[in-house]
Amino acid sequence: MNNIPFRSDQVVEELVQFNENLSKGVKNLLDADEISAGVTPREEIYAEDKLKLYRYQPSTGVVQNKVPTLIVYALVNRPYMADIQENRSTIKGLLNTGQDVYLIDWGYPDRADKYLTLDDYINGYLDRCVDVIRERHGIDKINILGICQGGVFSLCYSTLHQDKVANLVTMVTPVDCKTPDNMLSHWVQKMDIDAIVDAMGNLPGEMLNWTFLNLKPFQLMGQKYVSMVDIISDEKNVKNFMRMEKWIFDSPDQAGEAFRQFIKDFFQQNKLVEGGLKIGEHAVDLKDLKIPVLNIYAEQDHLVPPAASKALKKLIGSKDYTELAFPGGHIGIYVSGKAQATVTPAISDWLKKRN
Amino acid sequence: MSEDNSWADQWFKAQQQFVDAWSDMAKTGGGDNASQSELWAQSFDLWRQACEGKTQPDMELAMRKCMDMGKEYFAMAEQVSKGLTEGSNPVEAINQWLEQMKQSLQQFGAMPGFNGAGVSDFMKQWFAPNASWQEMVAGLTPMNQAMWQMPGMNTSVFNLGEAIDPLGKVLEAPGVGYFREPQEKQQKGLQLALEYQEANFKFNQAFLRVALESIQGFQSRLLGLDGDKIPKSLRELYDLWVEISEEHYAEFAMSEEYQALYGDMVNRLMIMRRHYGEIADDFLRAMNLPNTREIDTMQERLQQVRRENFALKKEIKEIKAMLVQMNTATSPTAKTVPAARAASTRKKATAKKTAARKATAAKKNVSKKAKVTRAGA
Repeated sequence: MNNIPFRSDQVVEELVQFNENLSKGVKNLLDADEISAGVTPREEIYAEDKLKLYRYQPSTGVVQNKVPTLIVYALVNRPYMADIQENRSTIKGLLNTGQDVYLIDWGYPDRADKYLTLDDYINGYLDRCVDVIRERHGIDKINILGICQGGVFSLCYSTLHQDKVANLVTMVTPVDCKTPDNMLSHWVQKMDIDAIVDAMGNLPGEMLNWTFLNLKPFQLMGQKYVSMVDIISDEKNVKNFMRMEKWIFDSPDQAGEAFRQFIKDFFQQNKLVEGGLKIGEHAVDLKDLKIPVLNIYAEQDHLVPPAASKALKKLIGSKDYTELAFPGGHIGIYVSGKAQATVTPAISDWLKKRN
Repeated sequence: MSEDNSWADQWFKAQQQFVDAWSDMAKTGGGDNASQSELWAQSFDLWRQACEGKTQPDMELAMRKCMDMGKEYFAMAEQVSKGLTEGSNPVEAINQWLEQMKQSLQQFGAMPGFNGAGVSDFMKQWFAPNASWQEMVAGLTPMNQAMWQMPGMNTSVFNLGEAIDPLGKVLEAPGVGYFREPQEKQQKGLQLALEYQEANFKFNQAFLRVALESIQGFQSRLLGLDGDKIPKSLRELYDLWVEISEEHYAEFAMSEEYQALYGDMVNRLMIMRRHYGEIADDFLRAMNLPNTREIDTMQERLQQVRRENFALKKEIKEIKAMLVQMNTATSPTAKTVPAARAASTRKKATAKKTAARKATAAKKNVSKKAKVTRAGA
């Protein structure tokens, strides 16, 4: 290359424009109210410790699936990602397509929760929430939709409690944690997890944040803010940007013992694939999972590479397995317009055919 | 927005000054020695100060990040523009800028205790992982940050050589007498802190090397570009730089070297933190105050009791459900019902019983009151 077609006066012009956008945008930032997230009306129907179980208000005029769906979100970050804004809400999409939606909000664990284990989360909290919903509806089985780490919990739960789960949907769920493109897993292989939990008690949310931002530091800590200047002169864009920003930095601490087991068993020893996984006293073998499974992954997922999710196909015993690839990333699968148009209707169709 | 226009005037003047200065620089090619991006940053700092406390904390944080990145973006623009005088070759100008960055990084890297601080605004992004790591560690470790400024902490064996390591002597002093154990613990703490510093230093050195490689990669990529792929604006040049930096970073982050360096840094930090936690526990015990060990024991026992409690509750519930099913089975109109429905029926039955019990209690109260009234009468 010997011809870069820009001159210094052009650079000045660009900077003046940048400056102007920033000046206009700052007014929007100054004027903006506190950012709220989670837009769909809901009712708390059960609470235990810091956990809350919500039921979302069904959409009017839509024929509702009689089998309710429980969304099991990850312990990492907050579940309002699935309901971040009016026109970008997976939950709203599910309601509008006739699903009766429940969601577990795990809350913010503190030091008093340090000894919560995966057994407490999966065979304790999650099982009790499922029972509450079954009793409310007077049915034996419900649908479960697990998101990311919540998908791992849902897989373990459904394998152990198939008498209570009709259909399982997993979204961007890491199953094979040792695929060669898994940066998160690569980083933790030489970490002394015992030293971390023993030293910190719970894993601080700040450490998780650091980890996630450093998967793509130039984009997530730099370019994003330069690009923001292009859009902040529009008040609506500012709010949308800030909602995402709020979510990204809203990282609960992780209960120490649950974190210890999760990283060791899933990330370091890859037990869902290699075998030998136990949740409490119960051995989990995905071959025992015989219920219908819809596995959704994102093709450009930098957190859970597609191969990590797709591994599920060969591991489960179910003969009714469907895969859905979403052309986007780990977050886009909930918040993009494309996801609203394709992913939520696909989930509802799949569930309706089986309920 | 504030009604007070004094800061807005200041801001406007500063911005005018900034635009004039940039226009001059564009005409003359280089301008004076004063950094224009610095001028821009100063004017924004004024603005930021004026806005402090007038907006939501989340917004303030986002604004700060925007302005910090803006400053780095302007620094890039300034450095690139300096070579873009009329008639000059833009490729040469950009290459010159990149060479300067390389030299500057090499100089910084040779400085004792290099941790990325002080690197020029634009390349600072390469050390953002470490800067944010340091911020996080400052919030998580119990030691006063001044500890890192102690003699020896920044000039230790991994850096300037054992000969001038004043901490070496402190660490080797034998413990004697009644305070032997606490002294040894403190010595071990300092040793662990040094080991963490060393691991952090190695991590930074690796980053420095990859940052230099990324500049080289950027130069090579620019030379190989043609047609539509050639950046046509400053923003496109910046985006390309991000893309190439991210590629170099990802390759490094997926290497065995990164895994080992990062693992070692995290582990040493945690081992040090655990050790200082133990020292703090000893102190609390001596003060007859509850310490972490004791609270942990209580929490663990409590959690076990809660598990047992839930298990018992579940068993009772199942037994009750069985009883309901047995009763239903013996009734002439018995039908098989799902367990959850049975539980739901049981709930309703319990509710009815409770209501009946309440009604009976209310009746009793009424008759008691009536008796009292009669007795009173």
